[in-house]
Amino acid sequence: MAEYSKMAKGHFTSTGGAQVINLPFQPDRIEMTNFTATATPANHGIPFAWWDVSMGQGTGLGFVNNATPVTTTGQFLTGGFSTFAAGQLLQFGPTYQYTNSGNPTFSISQHATAPVVTTSVAHGLTSGNVVIFENLYQTATTGMVQIAGVPFTVTVTGATTFTINWNTNQSTYAAFDSSTSTGHAGSWKQVLYPYLYCPNQAVITAINTTTNVITTAAAHNFVVGQEVAFRIPTIWGTTQLNSLPNIVIPGSPGYYYVTAVTQNTFTVSGNLTAFTAYNSNFGGGAVIPTGAWTFPQVVPVGDLNTGGVPYSGGALYPSPLVYSGYGNTQVPTINGPAIQGAFVNNTSQGFIIGAGNIKVGAAGADTSSHLVGAAEDVIYWVAYYDDLSMN
Amino acid sequence: MSITTTGNLGPMILQSLAPAMLYVPTPTMNYILVCDKVSMPANGGTTCRFMRPRALVPPTIQLGNSGIDPPAQVPQRDIIDAQMAFFGTGCIINEQVILQDQEGVLAWVSERLAVAMRQAEDLILRDYIVSAASQINAGGGSNGDNPTNLGISDFSLVATTLDTNNAYKFMSGIEGMDRFGTGPVRSAYFMLSSTELQSDFDGLVGSGFLSQWNYPTNASALPSEYGSVFNTRILTSSEAPVARGASKNGNDVYYNTVLGKQAITHINQDGYSMNLIYRDPYYSGMLAQNATIAVKFAQAQAITQDTAIRNLISTRLSSVAGP
Repeated sequence: MAEYSKMAKGHFTSTGGAQVINLPFQPDRIEMTNFTATATPANHGIPFAWWDVSMGQGTGLGFVNNATPVTTTGQFLTGGFSTFAAGQLLQFGPTYQYTNSGNPTFSISQHATAPVVTTSVAHGLTSGNVVIFENLYQTATTGMVQIAGVPFTVTVTGATTFTINWNTNQSTYAAFDSSTSTGHAGSWKQVLYPYLYCPNQAVITAINTTTNVITTAAAHNFVVGQEVAFRIPTIWGTTQLNSLPNIVIPGSPGYYYVTAVTQNTFTVSGNLTAFTAYNSNFGGGAVIPTGAWTFPQVVPVGDLNTGGVPYSGGALYPSPLVYSGYGNTQVPTINGPAIQGAFVNNTSQGFIIGAGNIKVGAAGADTSSHLVGAAEDVIYWVAYYDDLSMN
Repeated sequence: MSITTTGNLGPMILQSLAPAMLYVPTPTMNYILVCDKVSMPANGGTTCRFMRPRALVPPTIQLGNSGIDPPAQVPQRDIIDAQMAFFGTGCIINEQVILQDQEGVLAWVSERLAVAMRQAEDLILRDYIVSAASQINAGGGSNGDNPTNLGISDFSLVATTLDTNNAYKFMSGIEGMDRFGTGPVRSAYFMLSSTELQSDFDGLVGSGFLSQWNYPTNASALPSEYGSVFNTRILTSSEAPVARGASKNGNDVYYNTVLGKQAITHINQDGYSMNLIYRDPYYSGMLAQNATIAVKFAQAQAITQDTAIRNLISTRLSSVAGP
């Protein structure tokens, strides 16, 4: 019977990181074939895997090759298949913080451009994920509370390390470590669906008034031709960028146009050389600032484009491309074509093929095997939503 | 003596359905209330485009007596685009349910679908505003967090910001009357807040908060209006956005959207809104077993005056009593 059941199939080339598959439904059954690992069996390769919703989210079963190579069966306890419904903002993953048993803990190093966050157990993140921190008090007067509440794009550098982009190597910052912080304060969590509406407001982490390059903590999803407005409180320095006040035409907001973009940077037109330098070391002294502050922000306010995404093969009229919160490449929204820079809806649903490790029998997980395969592996998948489920 | 009881002569029918359905807890939907409404035409493409002229430089320099005209200005405008999106949901109901259930299944499912659609409309607007509007962290409160709980100065600051940006207020003031316990209400922007902050607002009585019940007349008050502080009138809803445990100190962060007229525009396409679609079982398989009932709508949204909207984000002073 297949009157209302839904089926979908597809393939992709793995990046080695978790892969998001957008579908018009959330499947209850998934089958996956790693073409590369099947055609060329090699140690740690996972040629086939499958999942049923009754197995639980983030799990799965699969085959794995050993060095011979001989194929055996195993299971994924974490980082397996999972479904998602990205329909509402402000949803977070589990809070990563010290517990009574002493784990997990994490630290944040002092670095001018890429502080390293080191976790005591695997963080489970993929580059492009977004996290926020809270309670970064090393002591009552030291730590990194300045970055608490800011959504950051992470760059994963290892199973227990990732970096964020904020200058923490300044006088008011002190290295943070929740294993030694007072009361083991400190926590972080993943923002599950950070970019449901694009382009989006973003917190600024750096402004280069010579090159006009502005860096944001999380992806901004701007495009070339985007019109943007700045909201920079006085403590952050570069207030001349603000859209108001306007001395020449009182009341008329001043905007900037974007001339180049990357995931977390954009360049604006205009001459900024006479502007005050950006400063994220506010408060002064060797202690963390007290009181409340508003973060420097940039918001999209329009665009001057007239066409959609340029054709580069594939669909003739591509959908808007956005950073989804998974990976460092843009992916199309599930909607149709739009003017570049338009406000677009990026809500979606579907499933994720995780980068979890397979576990064979009583042995520990094989940390060299990943469900989503290695970079450049070609993965085929089939997803189902069944009419009749007997459990 | 034998007594006939329900033990030896029980009722043949044990239950009786109460005459009315119970209410379904439903949040007030404030976001759609404050939107401008625009209808995009049929056959008009995927994207709705707005145009706002820019102000010209006021000619404050005198012409003098040279007889020479000053250089001409080049008029400019800003363009805002929003892509239309389609939404829908529905239910498949077997004919045996319709045939055998004693309550009107189709009637109440239709009602639920309609409410779900209206709620989706509001939640989409809510999340879009959280995503695209700029933020001001409350700093006038006393809880030492970032943002702090809402203090009186925060209301003043955000209204000052919007006034300085020349935003248009939604409501004209309410003149004072000679009635005990009432006070005049200023012309105001709307602030869309969480019901969880109502206890904090109550804590500001005497410091600037005026309960809606203390307006000289509440003829112009909206059903979800809780009160006013200075130049903001506060609408509350349990679905207002809250980022749980996301403040500097790990407390909940509340998004209080303060906005003036035309800040947000809700766009439909050719009246393509609120389509309730019922298909008789006749249109299902060969035995015509299943009816379907569904709703579908089209919606886009844009911040059309970025100068007229701010998310005043805050924590709260009082601890949550629990759901």
